[in-house]
Amino acid sequence: MKMPTFTYHRPATVAEALAVLASEDDAKILAGGQSLIPLMAMRIGQPEHLVDIGRLDELDYIERRDDHIAVGALTRHAAAEDSALVQTGAPLLAAALGHVGHRAIRTRGTVCGSLAHADPAAELPAVALATGATFIARSTAGEREIPAADFFQGYLDTALEPNEMLAEVRFPLWPDRAGAAVVELSRRHGDYALVGLAAAIDLDDAGTIGGAALAFFGVGSLAVRIAEAEESLLDKTPGAEAFAAAGRIVTETIDAVGDNHGSAAYRNHIAGVLTTRGLAEAFDSIGDRV
Amino acid sequence: MRESLAGSFVGTSVKRVEDERLLTGAGSYIGDLKVEGMAHAAFLRSPYAHATIERINAAAAQRLPGVIDIITGEEMQAITNPFVPLGMIDGLYTPLFWPLAIDRVRMVGDPIAIVIAESRYIAEDAIQLIEVDYEPLPTVANMAEATRAGAEQIWPRADGNVMFRTEADYGDVDAVFASADRVISETFESHRHSNQPMETRGSLAEVTPDEVIFHSAAQNSHGLRWVLAMATSSEPVLDSVKELAGPGRDKLKAFGAGAKAFITERKDDLGDADNKGFIHQVRHDPTTLKHLGKVFMNVLAQDERRRPRVVADDIGGAFGVKGHPGREDAALLAAALKLNRSIKWIEDRNEHLTVGGMAREETLSVQVAVNDDGELLGLKVDMTMDQGAYPAVPFGAATFAGIMRVMMPGTYRFKAYSMKAAAIASNKAKYVAYRGPWANETWVRERMLDVVARELGLSPTELRLRNMYGVDELPTKMLTGPTLDVRMSAKATLEKAIEVAGIDDFRAAQAKARENGHLLGIGFSTYHEGAPGPPDYADAILPGSGAMMAEPLTTVLEADGTVSVITAQMPHGQSHETTLAQVAADQLGVAMDQVRVIFGDTAKTDFSLLGTGGSRGGPMGGGATLFAARGLRDRILDEAADMLEANRGDLEITDGAIHVAGVPSISKSFAEVAEVVRTRPGSTEPLTGSVEYDGGPGGWVQATHVAFVDIDIETGFVTIPRYVVVEDCGELINPAIVEGQVRGGVAQGVGAVFYEKSAYDDDANFQAGTFMDYLIPTAMEIPDIEIHHLETPSDIEANFRGVGEGGMIGSPAALTNAVEDALAHLGVRITEQHLPPTRILELAGVIAPA
Repeated sequence: MKMPTFTYHRPATVAEALAVLASEDDAKILAGGQSLIPLMAMRIGQPEHLVDIGRLDELDYIERRDDHIAVGALTRHAAAEDSALVQTGAPLLAAALGHVGHRAIRTRGTVCGSLAHADPAAELPAVALATGATFIARSTAGEREIPAADFFQGYLDTALEPNEMLAEVRFPLWPDRAGAAVVELSRRHGDYALVGLAAAIDLDDAGTIGGAALAFFGVGSLAVRIAEAEESLLDKTPGAEAFAAAGRIVTETIDAVGDNHGSAAYRNHIAGVLTTRGLAEAFDSIGDRV
Repeated sequence: MRESLAGSFVGTSVKRVEDERLLTGAGSYIGDLKVEGMAHAAFLRSPYAHATIERINAAAAQRLPGVIDIITGEEMQAITNPFVPLGMIDGLYTPLFWPLAIDRVRMVGDPIAIVIAESRYIAEDAIQLIEVDYEPLPTVANMAEATRAGAEQIWPRADGNVMFRTEADYGDVDAVFASADRVISETFESHRHSNQPMETRGSLAEVTPDEVIFHSAAQNSHGLRWVLAMATSSEPVLDSVKELAGPGRDKLKAFGAGAKAFITERKDDLGDADNKGFIHQVRHDPTTLKHLGKVFMNVLAQDERRRPRVVADDIGGAFGVKGHPGREDAALLAAALKLNRSIKWIEDRNEHLTVGGMAREETLSVQVAVNDDGELLGLKVDMTMDQGAYPAVPFGAATFAGIMRVMMPGTYRFKAYSMKAAAIASNKAKYVAYRGPWANETWVRERMLDVVARELGLSPTELRLRNMYGVDELPTKMLTGPTLDVRMSAKATLEKAIEVAGIDDFRAAQAKARENGHLLGIGFSTYHEGAPGPPDYADAILPGSGAMMAEPLTTVLEADGTVSVITAQMPHGQSHETTLAQVAADQLGVAMDQVRVIFGDTAKTDFSLLGTGGSRGGPMGGGATLFAARGLRDRILDEAADMLEANRGDLEITDGAIHVAGVPSISKSFAEVAEVVRTRPGSTEPLTGSVEYDGGPGGWVQATHVAFVDIDIETGFVTIPRYVVVEDCGELINPAIVEGQVRGGVAQGVGAVFYEKSAYDDDANFQAGTFMDYLIPTAMEIPDIEIHHLETPSDIEANFRGVGEGGMIGSPAALTNAVEDALAHLGVRITEQHLPPTRILELAGVIAPA
């Protein structure tokens, strides 16, 4: 479990970093290194070039803009977790961060790194899907926006090109009368979830459910939203009955993949249980915010 | 009556002597060692569970800058010997194998080549460049496949894949079963899991001009030394042969006479067991004789360097796995001798998880003959063990089967008992000792008793109380032979446990919790453990083995007046430096900082076959220290009596000052005594006190565990709101250390039942090679553990019993019994030891089985 050789780059500017990505065939960005470094130690990942963006302070920011909260490429999980802007403007992200590894991991790991790594058992890709986040990919050729629904393409696979850096992610500003919850089951405190759910729910003026997002992680090669269950909630009175019905649809629909830590049937069942629990928690949180 | 002594350390929770060194990072672990010119080794390992090796091409790897040498199987075979079996047991065939795989790999992780390079990084780079062509063979992934007619045979000379068979009867089994109101049967399975100490295995073969020092994280330095000597012995050195034939004849004769005397003295004990084992082995593999002869001849008449000095220092845990010399160790030493260069190998976690050693994969079919009123009559057990591909060195599954056979009836009044056991080979990693290696006797018996109680409509505690030997019946003997002396207090621990558990309150809470989707359960288990066991214990397991169990120990009065306790025990987390110093300081009447415990170096310590294992540290190490220190005290007092011109009988020692009782003002210090001894004309040796301690009356350690579980029936997650241990280990040397041992053992039991599994798929591909796949519970998952001590009064000196393993022996049964209690109203019976959330919900009928 020792890393293979690689060339280490420590650019002084974003432009330099992008130049390395453009000129080298097999380059990876090193931010917090909480996933990449272990993979390299196990020689599962063997990039020839590492581009360390750890000193590019201009990428370390959380900003509230007109219609979104922007998180830069070097923003650590812990910084986002502690941010009042995130708590008020992107409560689903805030709810997820406490579940990411342990605090020590979160002081190094970055929000964008977690998203670009695209582990299907991780919390943040599901948050991005549930909130409809926008990904800003930057290269020497310029910048492009990628919607969350298009960003995640497969197991540890994203729409980023090899020469692109995930420079920023934008979470739409949270509406009023909307609730957020991230619920998950992990074997041990701090583990990747067996199954997890990022749930959002908003109410219309009549107090019935105007919209719902249910994004699951740990169930397959990608985080997934279950549209059938989300739609089943529309116009319903929020409460145990509607939430349980949505949970049953999730269990029947989700078609999770099993492994040694939880069978497919187990994960399907748990996805349903978490739906009921997560929606209740999300609904309860509306009162907290309004 | 006890001799009145000045000290008072034994019995108190003295702070650990080790802590300051270890907690400030001043420990010296194998990974910390660096020596001049040290190279690093890494092993190329098989990705296949079973395959022939068609071709190896290491040319590109060999050319990589920084690579010193690459040794593959054939070359390794030429410079080493196979591991010849040392413990030959009737019914056991041990295949011969070499440090590296030669033409066939038999498990994922089988070592194929050792790469020696200037750094571990380069060695691992080189491994990626070695090309190996494999031809895959059918695999044997489990017991069912191993015993299927037509299954692929892993060892050509074995009987199919069955490596060991044994059978024993006690009492008239058929008659007793025929007389019973009913016979209740069940089959139990326990899963592979593993020791996983914080520190993996590792060694450094240090080559110096004068000697080869093999530094290793080893639980048994002397055992490792001799296994290495045998594995790497080369042709006899001519000078040595000449010497043995000529002037050294006496040495050879002395060795022969010693061996003859050893055997003659123990003839009655040894019986014919060894002989039958030997015949069984040689019948299966006649080349065993040739290799044995060569190895012994070579070991006697060769370069001393091939009999390395083994040095072990601080060890980051082991739980049994480091009592087994590794194939990697032999390969490392052979490479160092070949290259005349120091080489270090530190096992990484992936290697340790994959090949370090696994334990307890056993299936046991049990029949209990019982009367309707709950009187237990008879017990039949048929066990199969999966020992993996390569047997552990120097002993493995078959040895533990013997302990299980003896301990299976527990402290219950069975009238007849039979046990059959077999060990099969599979394409998996070796079966090693893990904290109470025989623990499934307790798990299966205590699990089965709950099954029986439920069938009879009795409470589990009632069934136990009705059948357990009470103090009024002692002494008596277990059906399997060993004596249960008057200190046997298993039943007292159960009675105390029932009292503190509050069963009635629990039942009320259980009924109430069910309304909220929480299923509460309570489970009991009671066991006794031979640590060290009565004098007739070891021979009941293996005739003649009692003679091997003695614990050597020497205490020395050093020139500066301090005392060294030189032990063959090899601490690896048990706090010997504290507990042995407590015992010695009390005997000698000195402060603990006057005593230093020395261990681990075969050049300094007395020979022992065992090192630390089997919970021997307290009873054997502590007892040996007590008597050796007393011997030293006597010699010190003899000297002091001369110096003080006083009567020996009038002297006492207060805080290290030797004086006539009542006259503390005129005294001699230990340093003054040492000075007199040291400067005496003609004297060179310091004062010592030595023993070969046989354990004296020995005795049992016993405990009852009570687990409380809370199952969330929606998720299958189990929490443990309360856990109680009532234990009797005799006199406690250091209560805090005893409790630490108990807690650690229970934590590993929690791990075994709810988290840890060395998973293989149906083709014997290993699936738990990282800590993301092999789940070890953290502090968050371990409950508070409530410990109650009982101490049965006794006049016996050194009334110490071992506590290293018990936590893990008792906990799987208590936990699985509690889970069944929680789910019993759903008609659930627990027959497997591993119960992750998926399995809980499958058993409860919430989800369909995978």
